[in-house]
Amino acid sequence: MTSAFNLSRRTLLALAGAGLASAVLPVKSFAQSGRMLVIASNQDIPNFDPHTSSGYSAAFLMRNVYDPLVRVAENPPAPVPALAESWEMGADGASYVFKLNPAAVFHSGAPVTAEDVVYSFTRAMTLAKGNSWMLRGIVDPAKVMATDAGTVTFTLEKPFAAFLAVLPWFPIVEKAVVEANLGSDQGQTWLMTNTAASGPFTVARFQVGTMYYLARSKTAWQAAGGNLDGIIWQIVRETASQRLMLQRGEAHVAVDLTSEDMDALEGAAGVTRVIEPEYRTFSIKMNTAHGPLADINLRKAIAYATNYQAILDAAGYADLMVGPLPNGIMGHDPNLDVPRMDLDKAKEFLAKSATPEGGFTLKMVHVSGLEQQRRWALIMLDSLKALNITLEIQPMNWPDMVAACASPETFPDLFPVYQTANYGDPDNIAYAAYHSSRNGGWQNAVYKNPEVDALIEEARSEIDPAKRAALYEAFQKAVVADSPDIFGVLERRKLGMRDAVSGYAFCPVASNAVECWPLSLA
Amino acid sequence: MTDVPVSAPRNEGLARMLYRFRQSRLSMIGAVMVALVLLFAVFGPVLAPYPEHVAGGVDTAARFQPPSPAHPFGTNELGQDVLSLTMAGTTVSVLAGFGVVLIGAVIGTVVGAVAGYVGGWTDEVLMRFTDLTLTIPGLILAMAIAAALGPGFQNMVLAISLSWWPGYARLVRGEVLAAREEVYVTAARATGAGPGRILFRHVLPNCVSPIIVKMSLDMGFAILTVAGLGFIGIGVRPPTPEWGTLLSNARSYMPDYWWTAMAPGAAMFVAVFGFNLLGDGLRDILDPKGRR
Amino acid sequence: MIRFILRRLLLLIPVIIGLTMIMFAIARLLPGDPVGLAAGPNATAAERAALATEFGLDRPVWEQYATYVGGLAHGDFGTSLLTRRPVGADLAAYLPATLELVFAAMFIAVALGIPLGLLTALWRNRWPDYVSQVLAIGAISMPRFFLGLLLQLCFAMWLMWLPLGGRLPIIVFPPQPITGFITLDALLTGDWQVFTTALRHLIMPAVALSLSPLATIMRMMRASTIEVMGQDYVMTARALGLPRHKILGRVIARNAVSATLTVIGLYFGWLLGGTVLVETVFDWPGLGLYATKAILSQDMMPVIGVALVIGLIFVLANLVIDLAYGLINPKVRYA
Repeated sequence: MTSAFNLSRRTLLALAGAGLASAVLPVKSFAQSGRMLVIASNQDIPNFDPHTSSGYSAAFLMRNVYDPLVRVAENPPAPVPALAESWEMGADGASYVFKLNPAAVFHSGAPVTAEDVVYSFTRAMTLAKGNSWMLRGIVDPAKVMATDAGTVTFTLEKPFAAFLAVLPWFPIVEKAVVEANLGSDQGQTWLMTNTAASGPFTVARFQVGTMYYLARSKTAWQAAGGNLDGIIWQIVRETASQRLMLQRGEAHVAVDLTSEDMDALEGAAGVTRVIEPEYRTFSIKMNTAHGPLADINLRKAIAYATNYQAILDAAGYADLMVGPLPNGIMGHDPNLDVPRMDLDKAKEFLAKSATPEGGFTLKMVHVSGLEQQRRWALIMLDSLKALNITLEIQPMNWPDMVAACASPETFPDLFPVYQTANYGDPDNIAYAAYHSSRNGGWQNAVYKNPEVDALIEEARSEIDPAKRAALYEAFQKAVVADSPDIFGVLERRKLGMRDAVSGYAFCPVASNAVECWPLSLA
Repeated sequence: MTDVPVSAPRNEGLARMLYRFRQSRLSMIGAVMVALVLLFAVFGPVLAPYPEHVAGGVDTAARFQPPSPAHPFGTNELGQDVLSLTMAGTTVSVLAGFGVVLIGAVIGTVVGAVAGYVGGWTDEVLMRFTDLTLTIPGLILAMAIAAALGPGFQNMVLAISLSWWPGYARLVRGEVLAAREEVYVTAARATGAGPGRILFRHVLPNCVSPIIVKMSLDMGFAILTVAGLGFIGIGVRPPTPEWGTLLSNARSYMPDYWWTAMAPGAAMFVAVFGFNLLGDGLRDILDPKGRR
Repeated sequence: MIRFILRRLLLLIPVIIGLTMIMFAIARLLPGDPVGLAAGPNATAAERAALATEFGLDRPVWEQYATYVGGLAHGDFGTSLLTRRPVGADLAAYLPATLELVFAAMFIAVALGIPLGLLTALWRNRWPDYVSQVLAIGAISMPRFFLGLLLQLCFAMWLMWLPLGGRLPIIVFPPQPITGFITLDALLTGDWQVFTTALRHLIMPAVALSLSPLATIMRMMRASTIEVMGQDYVMTARALGLPRHKILGRVIARNAVSATLTVIGLYFGWLLGGTVLVETVFDWPGLGLYATKAILSQDMMPVIGVALVIGLIFVLANLVIDLAYGLINPKVRYA
């Protein structure tokens, strides 16, 4: 190897390591187009249509290219103005009036009007894809009205306490542009690879499965922006590669790091670690309706036999769940009395069941390829040995797992699930994971308790925060008494960031879909 | 007696074969390696220093221990002894590899024998189908089938076997075509033996040597394919330890916990190397004309 | 010779039909719920049904097949259920990456395998021969994905000499696509920096992929050289007093290479389908990675497309090798 080669290689690395900001790379590069924030992620952006796509990579695009009426920010999360500069809730909790920011313009230069908002909600709800489920039965598009060019009125089907919290997931599209490219599918084909947006960035270039380059919009009207000229969303499938890129300065943010990666990054030069609790629960659902676990004593026996410490160890940066709601969310009771590993108690409950000696086999499934779920399945296998229960583990594809939820007969005995709070409100998880109307779906396949149902319904329509909190407290006690789940862990959000990035404030709602507008590069 | 000694044309005498085999030092090394692999395949789970880990036991207090006398290849993400898992993983890999080769050989032999013996249109159709299957990349075909069937030992073996048989079909067809014209087959036909009897008593036994040679040469690649499926994530179910799956898990822990990858990787290499050396030696002895 | 080529090309049609039939049978007759996966976990039954109708998955299999083959005639490879992107465009994007990798690996294998095979044949039964024989079997036995991991561990993670994976760092603009091979395009456009960067990305995956063809070509070359050396014409040439290097270069090498060519052709096709694991390890955006992703989500249109493209290239590669055979060895006549 010649020294010249050596030098150029080192220079390249050093330049990359110094951040791309001031570097003039010897090769034609994005660096020449200004301050580029490179985000390494393992998820490809499936499609650009904000009303049909879902997943965190799509959320990243929505957050940076589109604008919703309100955004979510801060910790604990709160609604902040976006397209709407102010809003008012009616006394009944079922009507909202939004005043649009007169400065707001689309990338085309046209102002954002109430018509566009009405059009977007109509489109989202009639397509009934993507995130529309969050407002299903709550928003009837016919009752979203443009009072004048800058005012939108919503009349909800029923009061919905989390309304503002879900709005960030309903981006506003430019009516005129979509109408011009309608095709036969409400513009779905066109919007898949094009945008009709007002956000601070525009899609400048992309290469499917490799990278998406968003450039700062010339029409960016948003206040309090950072100095970024563009963002690159780079697909890096392996988390170890993401970490190495971060260490080498080839990426500024890595969003899919594991606990092991975080350990390795401790003290790494130029790297900041973000390890924060987020509302993402992991628990193991039990088949309360069919098979041996329909017996509450057996469920309790298992809940007390579970090695929670091992579950926590295997998760790395995480916190054990205390009851059904995520720790720290509104209404969560941190002093709830939940089962912890106690073999004597476990055996006590086992003795009360129909099979006091154990000696049978339970079936647990997990998403094939999900490493954390595999680890937890093995820990359950180990834990159940103490009760003389064998565990059959079956990795499955996610759609097959969803299909198995259709009836109690096909639902496995133990079923692990992650639930992400798509909006920072307890109703999100309470309703999705414990209300019996969701039976047959993956979030709550079999659990049904009329008392719990009533509490959830009352709480979601209650507008007074104190009364809501009391209702959720009762809800948590009732669920723990029923023991339908093995409450697992809340994995902390693990992001790696170069210290050249400034302006970052953590918000525990989908924080891997980084909101880049406030960020700056040194 | 109407039967002609079946292996007459190639009978060289067992003693002489053994002598030639022992003369080839490489084949002997291969045989020793294979014997070792087979030993672990049978007794691996018992010989493992931490049999409880093989059964799925975890020890999360001892996660990611570097290699030490207690754990010569360290421990993994759940505190399990990597050496124990690797030793026990031999069973799945060898059994699956053997299953694949056996099923592949059986399907291939049936297809090849029928094609070669019946001839005409049947031959044409069967062989075109064989050629077609050969053009589909084996691993992709196996992956597609295995993914659709879901993870599990049997599904995995079945999936790979379905992409494994064409080689045998071509081989057997060639042998059958050649054997059909041999004197002793013509003689048997003249004495009034039926086609089934001729095929199974006279023709096929002569194909045994090349089939065995091919099977032993294929064993290594079958093990590699099994590990490849495990590496992609379409392998056996946990807690069954399997080399490819172990390696794929270890991959996310590089470079800090590099030792989790060493034992399964090395085991794969040794097993495949052994079978390839042995196969090479067997080919020299049993099927000298196949030597290149 | 033109007729020979045309006839061989005509044979591609039954290959296409057969291949699609086999892959279609696998895609449609095996269990699995691709629609459920593509529709997402929050989809209602109506949405799933709508998706199935949109992609024609609710119609009889033979009808779906007819539609697919009809589309193929117009160069339409169908649409991915998961990404809703046309498979044809995806294939066009991923194929050059795989081809570049395979060509690079074959280049290494041929450039080293043929001289090594020749040398070991000349040194037959001396110790370098034995050692290389053992090494060759070892090379064939080495799991490519394990080798890939070891290379990554050494050269990318510990020594940090080479990049971990991918084709180019994201901050580098790929050159104007001419051949689709980044290294070649960079050379053609005279962009030396991009060329070296791309080459550094290519080295490890190419080496990991080249080991087994290298060993096979070497053994093949050794065997055919030994065979050729025993032939009458070599004896004759020797008796005529031709200088040793001329015998070696003109007579032996030429004849032995033409025998080895078949192996090279076979290996080329085989490598195309064998890049899956190497592409996975090195995050190389090629057909293997594309197929793997599609397989894991049971999105079968891309898988059928990949199998078809690889199958066709496999057949074409054999045709090219047959032609090359004739060029090197003029005795061959095309029937």
